[in-house]
Amino acid sequence: MAVLPIHYPKEILTALDILAVEMWGPPGPPRGAAAGRIQSYVCAVVRNALAFLASGGAEVVDGVLFPHTCDSLQGLATQATDLGGWGKAAFVFQHPRGGERASARRFALEELRSLARELEAWTGRSLSPELLAAAIRLHDEIDGCRASLLDGRARLPIGDPELYALLRRGEWLWPEEHLAELRSAVGRLGPEPAQTGLPLLVTGYVPEPMSLLATLNDAGAFVAADDYAAVGRRVVRRNGVADADPWADLISRYLAHPPCPTRGTDLAVRMRHLVSLAEASGALGVLVHVQKFCEPELFDVPAILAAFTARGLPVLVLEGELERSLSGQAETRVEAFVELLRARGRAA
Amino acid sequence: MLRRIQYELSGHLVGPALLRAKEWRRRRSRRGRAPKAGPFGPPLESTRKLKELMSLHYLQGRFADGAVPVAWVTSGFPVELLRPLGFFTLYPENHAAMCGVARTVPELSDAAEKVGYSRDLCSYARTDLGCVATGKTPAGRLPKPDLLACCTNICQTVLYWYKALAQRFGVPLVVIDTPFVYGEAKPHHVAYVREQLEELVSVAERVSGRRVDPQELVEVTARAKEGSRLWGECLATARSRPAPWTGFDGFFHMAPIVALRGSEACNAYYRLLLGELKDRVARGIGGIREERHRLLWDNLPMWFAVRELSTLLAEEGFNFVCTSYTNAWAEAGVRVDPADPYGSIARAYTHIILNQDLTNRLGILRRLARDYACDGAVLHSDRSCKPYSIGQVDLKERLGEELGIRVLLLEADHNDPRAWAAEPGANRIAAFMESFA
Ligand code: SF4
Ligand code: SF4
Repeated sequence: MAVLPIHYPKEILTALDILAVEMWGPPGPPRGAAAGRIQSYVCAVVRNALAFLASGGAEVVDGVLFPHTCDSLQGLATQATDLGGWGKAAFVFQHPRGGERASARRFALEELRSLARELEAWTGRSLSPELLAAAIRLHDEIDGCRASLLDGRARLPIGDPELYALLRRGEWLWPEEHLAELRSAVGRLGPEPAQTGLPLLVTGYVPEPMSLLATLNDAGAFVAADDYAAVGRRVVRRNGVADADPWADLISRYLAHPPCPTRGTDLAVRMRHLVSLAEASGALGVLVHVQKFCEPELFDVPAILAAFTARGLPVLVLEGELERSLSGQAETRVEAFVELLRARGRAA
Repeated sequence: MLRRIQYELSGHLVGPALLRAKEWRRRRSRRGRAPKAGPFGPPLESTRKLKELMSLHYLQGRFADGAVPVAWVTSGFPVELLRPLGFFTLYPENHAAMCGVARTVPELSDAAEKVGYSRDLCSYARTDLGCVATGKTPAGRLPKPDLLACCTNICQTVLYWYKALAQRFGVPLVVIDTPFVYGEAKPHHVAYVREQLEELVSVAERVSGRRVDPQELVEVTARAKEGSRLWGECLATARSRPAPWTGFDGFFHMAPIVALRGSEACNAYYRLLLGELKDRVARGIGGIREERHRLLWDNLPMWFAVRELSTLLAEEGFNFVCTSYTNAWAEAGVRVDPADPYGSIARAYTHIILNQDLTNRLGILRRLARDYACDGAVLHSDRSCKPYSIGQVDLKERLGEELGIRVLLLEADHNDPRAWAAEPGANRIAAFMESFA
């Protein structure tokens, strides 16, 4: 099943033996004329997705799941299914926004159950509590490994391109296969720092183009703390306390996600989280890497600027449009930013 | 106490007197001057009352904070639940539109952009955040909020925008999150919205220090329903040929149903307007002098260019007789039922045009075009309103094919003139009009 960004109950898909293949665009130029059916002032993720779906790029999958992440994805969900572009099975997942409330908890549960029922009917499989509990355990373990890799980033002797290629394989691999390679990466975490570059906090949407990471490394910096929507913001850190009822447990897992603007997190809560990430990683600067026209991310930028400027941490805001490679101009900005951090370090 | 006196006086005594004096001066200065000949029919008399009503609202707002609880509210918020608690409600979208008409948006947006807001964000939000940052407003002064009330039935943008306001003002933010509707809302979606309404009331009661009187809620709900009905009737008069007013007039006259919904002042105004429109229909008076073509408008207006656009069109005999935007305010309220305020408000506010799928939207456009006998349509592709604009490329094709009408997709922005290329835009409209020859 193809899945659009960002948050969705992967545990249910896993429990029903459905392979999730995430579609972050796909990146690069639109693969089909249907991109023109959405105005150029809408983000590349949505335009590329419609082009890809309508041109038959996703024919290999049997269905698509559209999480209602933002206005644009919500629009895509109805445009592709009501006005043409996707004729096979389509599902939506709507998550509650506006903070943790009793109503939100109940709604999330109803919505998850409703999606599960639809998927059961579609696959002809039955979702037993045991299967769901096992899937939750699997994803807890996956997230545990991912958290170890991200939190112990400085002690991992590999470059960012390699680390992110590994983390992002989780977007399309079977979870068990992904877990196996994550475990082996965790085994490579050393006792001492292995990264010598300047530590950065990166917050943003998706690390595309991936060449950005190589540019950062080449310039002498590395991602010490990650708050990408596609990566760190989907890593749930739980203390192994599972609810006996798998549905209640699923909700707890859902609510334990790090703050994310697409879920309506309070700004102060999100800023506290970002500051704690920066402090824990010793980040010397902040890279805000957002998609052009992405309202959920862009609205938080002033608060991020204010929070880190107040702490004396320089911030670079970089907007992308899912380009295949980083533009020369963006590359220069990244290099200049790292140079600035280095100069500050020397002066200090 | 002093604040309360100022507030009451501005609303009931000094304000009306000032406005009457202003109007008297305006008339005196015009005495003897012949009305300008132009492509429009005689101006609506009610417009004076509209100006008075809205000016008074904003004038009173200057003294509201400290006198009564103040809520800043999104246009699609179920305000019926705040009225019995005595809130003065300010609609940042309505206020931003005022700034759009006053052409102060570039300056305000610049102020927002200076602190990091991208120019790609909704121009209403940028306008408002710019007002908050600079304190500049054509209304003189805006009251500070005690409560921020946001409903996601128009877009999710308002959630991000109001979160920023909540951080700025340090006051509670209540969110009514309305799940998107495919076909009809699912029962658990309506139940979720209903439950949030109850959560909202407990926060709003705490902020206002009052309790919702159930009887008062019934009355407010009944008034809101009646207001929507009256507004719908006003719009429906444009089914006559010639239409007694223009769709662009409608953009301005919708202010009370947006900002004063649920109040008697709102309903009294629409009774007055309806009377005048019916009278014009009976006497064959049109919104434009020579109505040759009838158009449908989709999406928000371009507030900064309403006059120019309507003149350009009216000069060639084109009138916008209906718009999906103004129509939305007539449709939503009909579902409200005073016998079941919470349940019906939950259903009504979930089934807002922007919170429903594109099949529904196409149906509405189709119906409007037929009911109002339109021979063309302009879909305003609004750069900063993604929820309203996504899908329009396809809607254009469908409307043209199914109804055999000419359809223009016009790229602009509802509030930021910098996103509107005036000359090429006017040329596109001219070419569109020529295609009717
Ligand atoms: S990039 Fe932003 S606007 Fe685009 S689909 Fe993702 S969340 Fe939505
Ligand atoms: S103009 Fe559009 S994006 Fe902006 S507040 Fe209104 S509905 Fe939302």
